[in-house]
Amino acid sequence: MFGQLFIKECRQTLKSLIFWLIVLGLLLNFSTQLGNMEIMDAPVKGQEEYGYHTSTDREVIMESTLGALAEEYCRENYATYPIGFYKNVTLNKKEINRIEEILEETTGLSGMEEIEKAIDGWYAKGELETEQRTGRLMLKPEEGLTYERFIELMDEVDDILGGGSKYGEGHRDKNAQVPMTYEEALEEYQFLIKNDRLTGGYARLFSDYMVIFLSILPVFLAVTRSLRDRRAKIQELIYTRRASSVVVVSSRYFAMLAMLAVSVLALSVIPLMQCVKYGSVAGVSVDIFAFVKYTFGWLMPSVMITLSVGMFLTELTDTAVAVLVQGAWWFVSIFGGVNSLKGGMYGWNLAPRHNTELNWKGYHDGFSQLAANRIFYAALSVALLAFTVFIYSQKRKGRLVFRGKILADRKNKFKV
Amino acid sequence: MERYWQIEKINLKYNVPLHILVCAVILGLSPFLVGVANLEKQDTAKVLEMYTALIGIVMLTPIFLPEQSKEIRELTGSKYMKSSSVYLLRFIGNSLILAVFLIIYTIILRQNHCVFPVVCYFLGTYAEMLFMGGLGIFSYGLCDNLVAGYMLPLFYYIIAMGSGDKFLKLFYPFSMAAGSYTEKYVLAIAGSLLAAGGIILRCRRK
Repeated sequence: MFGQLFIKECRQTLKSLIFWLIVLGLLLNFSTQLGNMEIMDAPVKGQEEYGYHTSTDREVIMESTLGALAEEYCRENYATYPIGFYKNVTLNKKEINRIEEILEETTGLSGMEEIEKAIDGWYAKGELETEQRTGRLMLKPEEGLTYERFIELMDEVDDILGGGSKYGEGHRDKNAQVPMTYEEALEEYQFLIKNDRLTGGYARLFSDYMVIFLSILPVFLAVTRSLRDRRAKIQELIYTRRASSVVVVSSRYFAMLAMLAVSVLALSVIPLMQCVKYGSVAGVSVDIFAFVKYTFGWLMPSVMITLSVGMFLTELTDTAVAVLVQGAWWFVSIFGGVNSLKGGMYGWNLAPRHNTELNWKGYHDGFSQLAANRIFYAALSVALLAFTVFIYSQKRKGRLVFRGKILADRKNKFKV
Repeated sequence: MERYWQIEKINLKYNVPLHILVCAVILGLSPFLVGVANLEKQDTAKVLEMYTALIGIVMLTPIFLPEQSKEIRELTGSKYMKSSSVYLLRFIGNSLILAVFLIIYTIILRQNHCVFPVVCYFLGTYAEMLFMGGLGIFSYGLCDNLVAGYMLPLFYYIIAMGSGDKFLKLFYPFSMAAGSYTEKYVLAIAGSLLAAGGIILRCRRK
């Protein structure tokens, strides 16, 4: 029964205009973002620059974070990014005093005048010093300041600013942007070639672009499919069929999931071929299943939860409210993720980002976090699917018929 | 005139309250999600273009929703008043509600010490709202599907966010943040044309 319905539902999905609009969307996204993708070559000694990377050196993190705090203190306003949007925070007298105390404890500099003098002195030193090549102000921490105390005080600053500042956990490390040396750039490249076997890095980049669309567009498909029976006025007819509610709902769900997975896999063939071609010339043994692994491991949990939210809310309310709910969730996730674009900090974001083919180390270090994230969303989607089955089965029995009106079920037609 | 007012009254009473509520919630949440105080010109433009303008999709797209069912469509089609006039009235009415929301929002921004040219930013944001709403009306009219109506403008928004003005050129919605208003004229005209096109397509559908 499930197999038959699944195939029928796959056909229905293929006939859906919304499905083809999603495919078109993915195709456009791919061609605009990855259409001109070029496989990275090994760095050459003597290049003008090799890009930047985030230093893990505690001293550099402390110096750059304190530099940023001193500058904002002098400007008397602080930039925060609660969900990726710029938010300017101005503090009251009491809070300013506390920041001043924190700066004194961490840098030894007391009061606005002394801090301004230190900043002017730093900029006056000129551009030749290595530490200044990033253009970011760095202030030496007070002798005897431990990293633990520094973290404690920066957390307090972040709290005072209302969160999302460059002093909070996960953000302060990124203040330490330093230029890469040739050796470091080569090491990054070696990770891409040896650990990722080229395709791993590009599959992550592919997933990064695709997840933006796949965290929102499937909801349109789910809502359309769920409303279709009612629009065609065959809802009651289907209710009387022998197939159980589990089979009806799950066949729809898995058919949509399968069709979307096939579309993504078809698109991934293009970058895969580019990698294979490059690998055969450069002598790199590529992993031809990397894109399949990332499609199912990285992208499908986002598609699953988006479809589940769409089906659940549409079945519950008989309206397109799921579009709004998923839209809001997507908006917060995407803008909330702009501070972790380079990967390694995946958290619980619906759309985990890794906007580079490099940073294998970040991916490796954050893998358990990423795996927990993806498993959680997959499990949540299964739970929502179970609720959808429950609501559907109740409707078959004549209960929970809302039609967009909360009180519509008060006079059940089957009871009257 | 009395008849037109009656239609708008019905629209206000039955069709738009939910959409007004959604818009109010979206704007009401903005202090928690985006900055609405002490913003410089560029950051204010960012908030208006990337956040506030989204209510254009919510408010304008569902103007055909009350006649979603074919039977109701046939019934309203048999009335003396043309369907196109009803749709046009709803479009104008909803656009005015959007303008009211935007006026209140810009006043709040101003009160919160955001520095920006009020009239220019109001008109620029309104043009973007009209375009995204017009795009929604057009795709709804074309596909006879509310979901498709929401999908196209959202898709446009994501493309604009991801690719910048590289592909959208004069249709780029976030130009105000970069100090350019030319795109806003294009968006206002294109939005009105798309809305008109959507209404025509809808009226031709039996």
